[in-house]
This record gives sequence, structure tokens and C-alpha cells, in this order.
Amino acid sequence: MTIYSLFIRDKDNKTAFLPKALNILIAVALFMLFFLFSYRRLGMEFDFSFLWSFRYRLAQGFVATVELSLASLVVSLFIGFLSALANNSRILVISYFSKVYVQFFRGTPLIMQVYLFFYIIGTAWGVENRFLAGVLILSIFEGAYISEIIRGGLESIERTQLEAARAIGLKSGQTMRLVVLPQIIKRTLPSLAGQFASIIKDSSLLSLISVIELTQTIREISASNFAIFESYIFLGLLYLTLTFPISMYTRYLESRYSYEN
Amino acid sequence: MRIELKGVSKVFPDGNRALDNITYREDFNALAIIGPSGAGKSTLLRILGGLIEPTSGEVAINGKRVCYDEKHLIQYRRKIGFVFQAKGLFYHLTARQNIILPLVNVHGYTKASAEASADKLLDRFGLFRDRHKYPHELSGGQQQRVAIARAVAVKQKLLLLDEPTSALDPELTSEVLDMLDELRNEGLHIILVTHEMGFAKKACDKVMFIVHGRLAECGDSNKLFTSPETEELAGFLSKVLEWNVSI
Repeated sequence: MTIYSLFIRDKDNKTAFLPKALNILIAVALFMLFFLFSYRRLGMEFDFSFLWSFRYRLAQGFVATVELSLASLVVSLFIGFLSALANNSRILVISYFSKVYVQFFRGTPLIMQVYLFFYIIGTAWGVENRFLAGVLILSIFEGAYISEIIRGGLESIERTQLEAARAIGLKSGQTMRLVVLPQIIKRTLPSLAGQFASIIKDSSLLSLISVIELTQTIREISASNFAIFESYIFLGLLYLTLTFPISMYTRYLESRYSYEN
Repeated sequence: MRIELKGVSKVFPDGNRALDNITYREDFNALAIIGPSGAGKSTLLRILGGLIEPTSGEVAINGKRVCYDEKHLIQYRRKIGFVFQAKGLFYHLTARQNIILPLVNVHGYTKASAEASADKLLDRFGLFRDRHKYPHELSGGQQQRVAIARAVAVKQKLLLLDEPTSALDPELTSEVLDMLDELRNEGLHIILVTHEMGFAKKACDKVMFIVHGRLAECGDSNKLFTSPETEELAGFLSKVLEWNVSI
């Protein structure tokens, strides 16, 4: 193996393990060096030791973020699926309701929705539990994206597949359950997994209405000891431990799907 | 088997008149529907298969009128097999699962007996080794043979095929046609839309020739291919057989 082949991609676009690992390591090191250098220019030293004393609160916040995200994933999948079906409804008002919903929630910032829904709608309808309110707000927001993902999946089902289902004598409910759903799930899984990573990150905005999750915990800790930088660097690392595996899984699913087509 | 069409027409919502007043009555074992592209052959086959409804007219098989409302059609479709030009197998299921799905969910087999039936069929048609492959892992000819096996799995009496070989290479075409010929010899009745004139002539006893949605000529395949009566059919045959040495 020459030095050249350690650093330059093969013509056939394949990268062996050793060059891959080496170059990832270098890239990460460069990234961190730049960050460290910037930090040093400010004349400050890192000190992460204080985090240890907050370990229980941090663990609680981490678990809360995971719970919040999982609950929102389930609810937003449900909302998104309903909305995708509604979008294709022959009843016009249902179809347009779905379209307005998707346009509004995809077209406005989450921070606005969080405030608006918590303080106006949440108060008016008596949603006092902040965790529940958080799950609802996040699910409605993410549901709009998931709706579009599922709508794309529905449109990708070829006509012959539906005709074949009819030809073998399936009823429309069976066609949905045995043919359409499994195919949509297989095709949209990469995008849905990616959306789950977004849910995890977006859940941080719920700290604005004091849902005690990871970001809110860090906000409280950094407000008490002013170690803002260390706190937020650590926060980023914690989110990465959640989103990075999902991102890897998404890429794996994508490669598998592209092979099948 | 007896097929009767009485004034069957089909006008699509976009105004396209695909079939124009087709009346036809015939006893057949294997019926080939031939004609130029866009003539309405596939539309006719879909009406016969209960997949679309004629705009007007009546269809009867063995003297029994086909009732075109969804409730009756579901029952009707279960009794006949239908094979598409391509992509009729469910992508997300293996060859074996494709055959099992209707057995369990439509015909009420237990899972074990469905598996046994599927394996028997797959074995018989030389597909056993590939039974756990997904459609995209099978050749086009294998896909079509699995689709045919699925369509006749509960011993359907009638099999409809819409250009089952037109997406295939010649050697794959013959493996599919061989399978059809074998099934036909065992008493399965076949109606197929095809461009394989050799198969239409040798393996089918009756032929319908359709042009612009009209039935231009019909009758025994021997007679139609050797002495066509209409100029349209003579012209069509001379075109499609121009480079065909085997007939």
C-alpha cells in the first residue's frame, strides 16, 4: 500500500477500512483543533469537571429527551399517516385541511409554534402538563414533515401493484394492509429515520416552555455556574450520541433500498 | 369454455373510446387477442378479468353474466387468474410469499397448507431453488413464471394474460410460453393478449383481431393466420411476420 493510496480515493470509488479510519480520524482532529484554537484565542481553559456533580440531573434530562422524542415519533407518525391519507381524500374539505396543515407547520418556525400553541391553545384547552404539551407541539410540527414523506411513499406505489392486488381478489382494506403499507414502510424508512434525528434535535426547543429535558437541564446548570461553553459542548456531544447512530442507520437503509431498485 | 360479449364498449373519462361495441361469442380452449398497439386489447382483457367496468354492454363466461359491482367482482376475480405484462409480483415479498399471500388471505388456507401448495408449485415449475428470492433478484422470465404459478395456485379454470412476454428476451419468452402450453394441455383455459404470433397460431385455437377498439376479424387460429379475410388483418400479419422465419 502506497502513501498515495492511503489518502486518495480509488478510481472505482471504493475506500478500504484503513484509509477510511485514518482519514476520518484526521478530519475529526482538524475539526476539533480549529475549535480548540479559537477557544484558546479567547484566553480560556476548558474545565469539564463540574459536570460530574450534575451527573444525575444530566442523566434525567437525557432520559427525558429520549422519552420526549420517542413519544413524539409515535404520535407524529400517526398524525403524518392520517394527514397523508387525508391529502388524497376525495372529500375536498378534508384534503384541503391536510394541505393547509402541512403548509402552515412546514412554513413557520418551530419556535413560533411552541410559544403560540403553548400559551394560547394549551392554556385555552387546559393542557397543563408541560411534557404532554411538548409531545403534542413537537408531534404536530414533525407530523407535517412525515405527512409529506408518507405521501411521497404512497405516490411511489406503482399502479400495477394495486391492480395485481385487485386481480388476486384482495379487498381494499387487505390491499392497504398487505401490499401498500409494507411497501411504503420499506421505502420511507430511511427518510423516517432521518426525521427521527430531527425530532431529537428539535425537542431542544421545548426548553423554551420549561419542559425539563436535556437542553433545559443544561440551561439551568450553566445559569448557576456560568460555564456556558463547557455545558453546551457537552450538550452537543450528548445529542450526537443519539443522532449519529440514527444517521448511520439511515445511510445503511438508503444503500439497501437503492440496491433493490 | 364459452365466452360471450354483447355490445361491449369502453369510454375512458378523458373521452378516449378504447372499445367500440364488441360482440363476440365463441367456445375456446385458448384464445389469443391480437392487434396493433393501442387497439384496446388490454382494456378488453381487463374487462374480462373484472378489473375495469365496461361503459356499456354485457360479458358472460359459460353462460354466467359478469356483474360489475365491487362485491360480485371480488368473488369473480378470485376464480380467475390474471398475469400482467410485468411488475405484477409484489416487490416486498419473495417468490414463495407471493404465492402464499392470496392462498392465506383470499382462499382461507392455513399457513402450513399454503406453504406446502406453494412449494409444490414452485418445484413443479423449476423455481424451487429461487423460492426465497425477491422479484428484483429473479430474471424477467422467472418473475412471469412465478406470477403464473400464483395465478393458477387454486386450480383456477381461466387464466388471463396481458402481453406476458413482451418485456422478455426471446429465450425467456419461450420458457414462459412452454409453461403456458403445459398448463393449457392440462385443461386450463387461457385468454391472452400477445404479440407472439407463433404461440397464437400453434397453441391457441381461437383468435380475436382488434383494431381501433373494433373487432375486425375472429375465428379459428388456423384459418385466420393462413387465409385472413379482411385487408386489415392481412396487412397486420404481413407486417408482424415479415422477419419471422418460424411460421
